[in-house]
Amino acid sequence: MIGLDVGSTTAKMVKITDGEVIFRITGTHNWKDLIRGIKDDEIISTGYFKNSVPHKATLTEITAARYGVKHYFPYADVIVDIGGQDTKVIDIRKNNFVINDKCSAGTGAFLEFVANYFKIELKDLGLLHSRAKRIPDINNTCGVFAISEMISQLVAGFSKEEVIAGMHYAFARRISFMIPEGETIVLIGGTVKNEGMVSALRDILQKKVLIPREPQIINALGALKYYS
Amino acid sequence: MQVYLKPVKKIGITALVPPELIFACGQEPFDVNNVIPASRSYPVNKLCAWTAIWKEMITKGEIRIDSFIVVAGGDCHNALVDGQKASRSGIPTHFFFYPFDGDPQYMESELYDLSYFLGSIQKPELFKEIIELKKIGKKIDKKRSAGKISPGEAFRSLISFSDLCGDINKFRKDIASIKEIKIHMNNRVAMIGVPPIYHDFHEIAQSLGLHIVFDELPSEFIRHTGKDIKSLARDYCDYTFARPLDLRIEFLQKELERRKIDGIIHYTQFSCHHMLEDEVFREELDFPILTIQGDLPGKTPQQIKLRLEAFREMLDRT
Repeated sequence: MIGLDVGSTTAKMVKITDGEVIFRITGTHNWKDLIRGIKDDEIISTGYFKNSVPHKATLTEITAARYGVKHYFPYADVIVDIGGQDTKVIDIRKNNFVINDKCSAGTGAFLEFVANYFKIELKDLGLLHSRAKRIPDINNTCGVFAISEMISQLVAGFSKEEVIAGMHYAFARRISFMIPEGETIVLIGGTVKNEGMVSALRDILQKKVLIPREPQIINALGALKYYS
Repeated sequence: MQVYLKPVKKIGITALVPPELIFACGQEPFDVNNVIPASRSYPVNKLCAWTAIWKEMITKGEIRIDSFIVVAGGDCHNALVDGQKASRSGIPTHFFFYPFDGDPQYMESELYDLSYFLGSIQKPELFKEIIELKKIGKKIDKKRSAGKISPGEAFRSLISFSDLCGDINKFRKDIASIKEIKIHMNNRVAMIGVPPIYHDFHEIAQSLGLHIVFDELPSEFIRHTGKDIKSLARDYCDYTFARPLDLRIEFLQKELERRKIDGIIHYTQFSCHHMLEDEVFREELDFPILTIQGDLPGKTPQQIKLRLEAFREMLDRT
């Protein structure tokens, strides 16, 4: 049995062998590579395309996230799943969730704009952030206008590294508005591999922030755990 | 001797205007909101799509009405401005205000003002006919709550009580033709807030395992009536959407308990002040709550379906 999470930008496959979590990640368009040799009735699917791929059963990303996170952190209060196209915040204690999928400012797409502007790889944003000496205030809550504000800060004399750090703080502030009261916050999703963004979020939240070793596969793991 | 009958005028309304009074004045009510979910309009300069679309359709003559009554005090703040914009197209418009404190004397004076705007009461016998129709409406609501009428069909019937489709006799036949079925309901859900702007919402919710057994606003359409202006005033002044939030919550608590619901869907509309009520409902109503926000009309979007599906999974676990 495998858990298959086919999201808007990446596809993830998880199986558990001898108690060990084994996974593969690829681009969404290559999702078929993940299920070669696996029968349809051995697949529990989740993610935006859960109904479009072969499956025995499906599960929403919201429920999958709860089960996946529980595997690593049974006492988490809140899950923040920052994906490429949306952000989901799940309040485990109150059995509640909110999703931002109307505005790019709190999603991975926002940081892609930033990386594209500087013509750098998305994965390099965190390293550049760590080199910032000052952090400029970027207050705009709209992704598009935040880019304009970012350019203004560059013109005003802030370095590329500092402006990237400022953008991480603007992003993290946006996410923090969605997060309810809770002691332990677990971050999942591909975007939380960005250490700069995570550092900004930790600074703003001032709470215990936990990240699984591989945050991108949690929903695929949760889908598998739910049905096994 | 020749008898000249006054021509029946089509009176546009934004719910909830007592349809009893419009029929009794010899006119035909037409709830302009009821055309919105099926419309494909993309209005310019909009906040709430409900009011923006009827404003634009009235202005362009796509909704043909002779006069217009806008509920401007009590349940919809955007209607106050979009109603004035619609009136600039030359349609005689009357603004109707509910009393926030529920004063029946104020309500009575508002209803008298409304009857002057409509002419005067010509057919008082219709008050009783509508009282009987609303009794049938309550039976439909009860059967739906018992799983004997589908949520979608019940919703469409109850929402139509705002104007009785402009034709009492035809409406009576229509609601009499509703067929009973038997539905197995495992997740009983109450819909609170304004009605969803998506025309297939109740069917989609049902297909995802959520059975809507209560629609807050349509249930108000069948709850209030009266045999004359005085009794209409006494009853309609209790229209919960126009009253303080505490009273509405108290009413909801009893209603949700009575219907043995498992969860609540709070539907909110983009740019509607009712969205601000969400956190109060979450504090006061002791049920799992899913809040969704709609914008333009049409089919239920995929993002909303995801929320419904996740909510059902959540209810399945509780």
